[in-house]
Amino acid sequence: MSALEITNIRKSYGDVETLKGIDISLESGEFLVLLGSSGCGKSTLLNIIAGLAEATSGDIRIGDRSVLGVHPKDRDIAMVFQSYALYPNLTVHRNIGFGLEMRKVPAAERDKAVREAAKLLQIEPLLDRKPSQLSGGQRQRVAIGRALVRKPNVFLFDEPLSNLDAKLRMEMRTELKRLHQMLKTTVVYVTHDQIEAMTLATRIAVMRDGKIEQLGTPDEIYNRPQTLYVATFVGAPPMNLLDATVTGGALSIDGTPIVLPLPQTIKPLADSQKLVVGIRPEALHLDEQGALEVVCEVAELTGPELIVTGRSGAQQLMACLPPRSALAAGQSFRLGFAPEAMCLFDRATGMRCD
Amino acid sequence: MERKSPLFAAFLYVSALLLAVVILAPILWLFVMSISPAADLAAKPLRWWPETPDFSRYATLLSTLENSAGAAFTASLRNSLEVAGMATLAAIALAIPAGWAVSRTPSIGWSLSLVIATYMLPPVALAVPLYMGLAHLGMLNNVFGLALVYLTILAPFTTWLMKSGFDSIPKEIEAAAMMDGAGLFQTLRIITLPLAMPVMATSALFAFLLAWDEFFYALLFTSDQRAKTLTVAIADLAGGRVSDYGLIATAGVLAALPPVLIGLVMQRALISGLTNGGVKG
Repeated sequence: MSALEITNIRKSYGDVETLKGIDISLESGEFLVLLGSSGCGKSTLLNIIAGLAEATSGDIRIGDRSVLGVHPKDRDIAMVFQSYALYPNLTVHRNIGFGLEMRKVPAAERDKAVREAAKLLQIEPLLDRKPSQLSGGQRQRVAIGRALVRKPNVFLFDEPLSNLDAKLRMEMRTELKRLHQMLKTTVVYVTHDQIEAMTLATRIAVMRDGKIEQLGTPDEIYNRPQTLYVATFVGAPPMNLLDATVTGGALSIDGTPIVLPLPQTIKPLADSQKLVVGIRPEALHLDEQGALEVVCEVAELTGPELIVTGRSGAQQLMACLPPRSALAAGQSFRLGFAPEAMCLFDRATGMRCD
Repeated sequence: MERKSPLFAAFLYVSALLLAVVILAPILWLFVMSISPAADLAAKPLRWWPETPDFSRYATLLSTLENSAGAAFTASLRNSLEVAGMATLAAIALAIPAGWAVSRTPSIGWSLSLVIATYMLPPVALAVPLYMGLAHLGMLNNVFGLALVYLTILAPFTTWLMKSGFDSIPKEIEAAAMMDGAGLFQTLRIITLPLAMPVMATSALFAFLLAWDEFFYALLFTSDQRAKTLTVAIADLAGGRVSDYGLIATAGVLAALPPVLIGLVMQRALISGLTNGGVKG
């Protein structure tokens, strides 16, 4: 049984179409991350699932029941907002138990559920405080607790970590992952942070301009991006993109003398077809026999690695190398990579072509 | 601003003192007049403080002897409290749903602007139609009729204030309550209104003051002790052949007391900042 089924959802505001036909099917227990830059429609989609906005057309089924026109409170969902949206005038205890209180759960049972959730999130000592007396991370936990306590079918998260500082964000990310592993709930999570998406998701939907660019596991998104957009959006530093042309059964990198062999797995390509070769900076390594000859322009030591920006003919290139690599600006060196690390895209359509 | 020269600090204090004097001097003078014998008020040179403070005028105005000046004054005091109180309560009761609806539905914001636009009309323009209307309803010289007229003045004002108050409460909080299963009225009662308390108190106070100080309509629409309000009663004191300025001053002091008391009572609610901490950090 699928926990959440989204079929051909469209949404228009006047003449502007923000969602152009979204199809997603989620199994129970999946963690779906909607990833995209701002304005791609990911928050709109989440609001439509939540019932805070109505879709122009299409269907949404939660637990095999169409929820079109169903009031948010009857959809069996809980949402954690970017701003937390805690009730400032109520105590943490009442904040967490509010959903149960409104559903007329007896006080004793409610108290037990609230304490359980608080224990899980390690906020037991804070139950009598007001939200204004909490730190950002604690408020975040209360907001999660409020969603948790109702045991809904689907959890919705709207960029929940974006208001936290970097260190806390990492802690909460791990916490969320642990919670999901423990509770095995279905989650839809909106973010623009690709690290959050990669670490938390069981599946990622990369969105762009109201459409899903690619839907797949983090591994697929990272290693086999289906479009140029996905290739550049996921990964930091971004994937190297080199313009290339098919010449005599091999790839010649434009503006350089470099010629790369075409991978065997690829379907036949017409001669002089224009392609883009994508290679992740992490996939490159120093190799005396390597195919790419590069002149180093800048070398940045981040600690765990040395990020080298260089130039090969007319094309720019970045590589993540071991920190102890002895490289200085102006130095020339050769880089190699495993053939399967290479992605090929059609330059005209931006689609993957193998 | 941490390092101020002593000269600048002195300047600040002198300015603050000056402001306080400018604001408080008329009130103080009003009080001095109210306890000065009539002869002192006309004396030349002016007496700044009466030799024997005379509180008899307070007794006169607050006496309940029939047909006395006191009876007229206390009746008008009661009328003013009733009219201003009723109009204020009704205005707040109207402003809560209206202000909330406009705040949460920006597309109907024009309707409030339209109402506010009628507010710009001078009272004179509306006096005749209102008089005819009240006469038709048989509500001339009636506290309810006057309260109804005041409501038309107060409601747009309180709605506008409440709307801006609701605007500052994040929509997400209500969306969260909605998902938690709270109905519209539960959300308003448990979440939104407590958060809007400071702005509610502010608009109630200002509405009350507006109704309390109103003179023009009260003068036109009331004629005797059954409905006359304080402002009209005070004007009556000055209307005879002999004006007792001390008595007028006394009435002024007494008229100023209820709003001051209400202000003091509401002071706690007026202190805002209740919404801190609900969202972000």
